Amino acid sequence: MRRVAIIGCGQTKHGRRTDINQAEMVSEAVWKAIEDAGIGIEDVEAFAVGNMQGFGGIAHPEMIFSDYIGAFGKPVQRVATGGTVGGSVAQLAYYQVASGMFDVVVAVAWEKHSDSAEPGATTGLLHVAFANLSYMFKKGLDMRSFAIMGLAGAAAGISAYQAAQYMAKSGCRIDHYDMVAAKARRNAAKNKYAHLKWPDCRPEDIAKTEMLIWPMRFGHVCPASDGASAIVLASEDAIKRLKPEKPVAWILGIAAYADEEADQGESYQGTGVLDYSAQIGCILSAKKAYERAKISDPRKEVDMAEIYAPFPHQELMFSEKLGFFDEGTAWKAVEEGITEIDGDFPICPSGGVNATNAIGSSGLQRVLECALQIMKKAENHQVPKDVEVAVAHAWGGQVQFNTVTVLSDKPKRW
Amino acid sequence: MKIGIVGFYALPQTYDVEMTREESVFAAAKGALKDAGLEREDIDTVVSASSDFYDGRTISSSMLIGASGAYLKDESKAEEDGLFAVLYAIQRLRTYHRTALVVAHTHSWTFNPHKVSTFMLDPLFDRQNELLNDVTLAALQANAYMHSYRVSEEDIALAALKNLENASRNPLAFRRIVGITLDEILDSEIYSTPIRELTMAPCCDGAAAVVLAREDVIEDLSLDAVWIEGVGAATDSYIRDRDLLEMNSLGIAAKKAYEMSGINNPLDEIDFAEVNERFAYQELMIYEALKLCQKGRGKYLIRSGITERDGDFPVNISGGSMGGDSIIANGLYRLIEAAKLIKRGFGEKALVHSQWGLLAQKNIVFVLRG
Repeated sequence: MRRVAIIGCGQTKHGRRTDINQAEMVSEAVWKAIEDAGIGIEDVEAFAVGNMQGFGGIAHPEMIFSDYIGAFGKPVQRVATGGTVGGSVAQLAYYQVASGMFDVVVAVAWEKHSDSAEPGATTGLLHVAFANLSYMFKKGLDMRSFAIMGLAGAAAGISAYQAAQYMAKSGCRIDHYDMVAAKARRNAAKNKYAHLKWPDCRPEDIAKTEMLIWPMRFGHVCPASDGASAIVLASEDAIKRLKPEKPVAWILGIAAYADEEADQGESYQGTGVLDYSAQIGCILSAKKAYERAKISDPRKEVDMAEIYAPFPHQELMFSEKLGFFDEGTAWKAVEEGITEIDGDFPICPSGGVNATNAIGSSGLQRVLECALQIMKKAENHQVPKDVEVAVAHAWGGQVQFNTVTVLSDKPKRW
Repeated sequence: MKIGIVGFYALPQTYDVEMTREESVFAAAKGALKDAGLEREDIDTVVSASSDFYDGRTISSSMLIGASGAYLKDESKAEEDGLFAVLYAIQRLRTYHRTALVVAHTHSWTFNPHKVSTFMLDPLFDRQNELLNDVTLAALQANAYMHSYRVSEEDIALAALKNLENASRNPLAFRRIVGITLDEILDSEIYSTPIRELTMAPCCDGAAAVVLAREDVIEDLSLDAVWIEGVGAATDSYIRDRDLLEMNSLGIAAKKAYEMSGINNPLDEIDFAEVNERFAYQELMIYEALKLCQKGRGKYLIRSGITERDGDFPVNISGGSMGGDSIIANGLYRLIEAAKLIKRGFGEKALVHSQWGLLAQKNIVFVLRG
């Protein structure tokens, strides 16, 4: 196993990008990352790519633009795991390099929601369930399962249950969700690549928005963005050879533990995940990633985190599962301003997924943003404190996948 | 660090609307574990292979966690041919993990794979006329190849005949026609000149799994292994941007795999091969790209019978894709057939190939050793 670092980052402006097509968008991120790393395309040995192909309407889109990203004659490995896809792409690229197979690898993940007739996050996730209707009709469909499927209401619907479950367990109120969402919009206003920007957004502003499905307001919900993110990863040997001028961000440890899928487990098979806010997969992923990174006390040793939270309760919930706060207490930290950009433990200084969600891009963007903070290249949303260790998280599948990536300014902790 | 295949299992290829994907994947994973003599608890990481478009649903891996045994394990997915999942598993084994399970499936009945090929086309230019799909594209390539190298339709039919004869003896094959003749192939229905029903692969359902382990683990547990000596993968340009007479990416992938396994002359040093030829004419092009012969000479390998089951260099003893194409599982079927033959002592070294994308845009090659 070899040490691996991120040596270059590139992302497009996220938002509604009807000005460019998928190929142009993805190649923009790739070439920016290569330029940022100060290398040439001839130095890149392999690619790790991923998006949720159904959302943009092209099957295996990277095949169409393999020349655009300079992949001719090189191995391209593809992964797609739902919301986690960007995180999975970053981890695939890590394995490509750490295994000793390749020295320099480009990881790129993207989504172009505006290419599909409806926002992919809604239709796409409903398809998860719909494809299984063929079996259910054949074998006899009971009303309860049908109701669960129809009423689940895709990502936002299923997350509303999770938000309610988290409230019931932690004792937090909707106001705290307002605070987290307002922070995301304020931070996004400082990030030139972000989608939903709202300078000086206050929790009261979010509280004025319509209640969609209790306890979730319109102001709590992420947008469906277009965008691409890319990073260049290199082995320790390659870094010695390439001698990048700018600082690099080392990857200390990664893990991705899978849980049972949410609605399936409950209605027809498996172990049954009844509490969507339990997230055992996240706890296990974090534990393993810290062990591999030789981090014993994440609360003391980690300086900031980019958490995959399309909905505000998830920032609170996952920050506990990742070990930054005690179970059920993250909302108190929000009240005290600890997670603000200039707080003791900044979370999502980029504005996070709540302000920008181009599904494929989102997971990789978390890793990229952590790297930017470590490299001190985050510009207006650079956190004031020194970042030595940062944690990037992504969440996906059917409320079941979690990827955790630990980054640092040094190749090893001890 | 060397990686070995310690267990494998493939379901008979079929077209069964009663079978769910989860059932297939479960049976394949369970079978491979049993073959390796291991339990689910012995497996460190799982890599599944499936594709959202071929499955007709988003996040195709999400429902496989229970079935593949990945529950509460460090796992991931490859969204392409199963051999790419094997490649990813090798990368994971060389980094953190000791043992890995790879499982791949496609159920062609849920979503017509030929329809998926139209979604692989550039939406701005190539989808509009509704003339292009995997079969018509193959016809373009086949015509170009036949005209450039004076390959006759009979040469292509001979390649199909060899594979179909082999498939008729393979219990896992989907299309088994006992006593198939050359005339039957040349008289079979034409889909797009010169592609006929019996010179293209029939899409079907299939699931297969392999268990991989690191050298030290194989020694510790004294497992029986088939070793992976070399692997190479490469991507070509999109169909519009390349010369359809060339299989560049296969040439590059094979070169890499040969280098890794120290092979200079594949025809002499490798004993047999399992390749994924979605269309019979592709087998000739594959021979050439694998450097088994010079460009345009693939037809002589077929005519002389060198690649027959009793020839000097048998190719597709299993019947290859002509015997059944379970898209994403295809590569694993090839790998498992080769591993089986090595274990039976049929040969010492084998080459395994699979392709992905329109007109084999992506290729992956493995070299196995007993």
